[in-house]
Amino acid sequence: MKKVALVSLLIATVATALVINARTTAADIPAPPIIGSTINEFTLPDANGAPHTLTSLKGKNGTVLIFIAVQCPVSNGYNERMEKLAQDYKARGINVVGINANSTESVADVKAHASKNNLTFTILKDEGNKIADALGATRTPEAYFLDASNKLLYHGRIDNSRDITQVNSSELRDALEATLAGKPVPKTTASAFGCSIKRPE
Amino acid sequence: MTTCVRTIVIGLAVLLIAGASLLTTSPALAQRKARSKSLKTKALPAPKAEAINAEQMQTLLKRDGNKPLLVNYWATWCDPCRDEFPELVKIDTDYRSKGLDFIAISLDDLTDLKTAVPEFLGKMHAKMPVYLLNVADPEPAINAIDPGWGGALPATFLYDKNGAVVYKRFGRVNAAELRAAIENLVCSKQQAVSSKTVLH
Repeated sequence: MKKVALVSLLIATVATALVINARTTAADIPAPPIIGSTINEFTLPDANGAPHTLTSLKGKNGTVLIFIAVQCPVSNGYNERMEKLAQDYKARGINVVGINANSTESVADVKAHASKNNLTFTILKDEGNKIADALGATRTPEAYFLDASNKLLYHGRIDNSRDITQVNSSELRDALEATLAGKPVPKTTASAFGCSIKRPE
Repeated sequence: MTTCVRTIVIGLAVLLIAGASLLTTSPALAQRKARSKSLKTKALPAPKAEAINAEQMQTLLKRDGNKPLLVNYWATWCDPCRDEFPELVKIDTDYRSKGLDFIAISLDDLTDLKTAVPEFLGKMHAKMPVYLLNVADPEPAINAIDPGWGGALPATFLYDKNGAVVYKRFGRVNAAELRAAIENLVCSKQQAVSSKTVLH
């Protein structure tokens, strides 16, 4: 009897679903800008509410924007590496900036997380995913390297593994080093598994 | 209205009436519920996941023209993956007997293969084959699956029997959309079989 009720419920679900046409596309996240395109100026607040423009955050040799998370274990696996990256390249004119675009994580969460994990670089809060959408960002961590004129030179992972002992290719650092040496970036995109950026449903 | 849709709508009407009338006999229902609850508490065989490399994954994704395939990429560390998993287990239960293959591919660490992964699958009462993709560099595997996918989890792909992608979703699935897409494949298969029968 329960089975009959369940079957009827199932069929109701199926019939309802059939009314909705099957979608063959992915979630409606805009495609990321192509390598070489210029990233438009934007303004976002940090975890204290102070507004920052891309221009104000830019290093003289460029900017690294990294979408990060409070709760994502992959992003958290990179906390020390991201802080070290920020420290290593600050003196060389490239600023590292974090962006939290997760709708599920508050400004207070971002602030507490940065303090707990000794993240000293600026972390912006992207409410409503405006910048995540503009950059086509889908996961954490996900990095964008812009040169001094905000031209996108690299987009993708920080390196190949969230387990630091397994790292054997560091595409983001390679991109920064090549640019600082006046050479073209050897690999302009690279993907890795990560947590989805939480967008409002 | 297609044959498939018409059959389902008629079935829906009949079964909703039958279901509603049966629901009124509550003591019997309560007994049945109690019995099914006691069955659920019985120990189930421990679910297992098998570690695979990128080549083995490619072999698993190949279709030979027989059955459509649903693939879910997930990890125990991924909140939306865990949230959507019960829905996927239901879909597996509902459509496996109708000819849908379903595999789940975990992106957990190899060290989780015998701990976190089977523990989670046990809690979910998952019955679909589960694999753990063990690769030093994830990029070639991600690009082989879909160059437009950055690797954000969860990700779900539905392939028809010939291996063409008919539905994909990055992030948590919309169960109604996914079921509709599966239903289209399962239905078109049934229609193909019935039209073949007519020709004979």
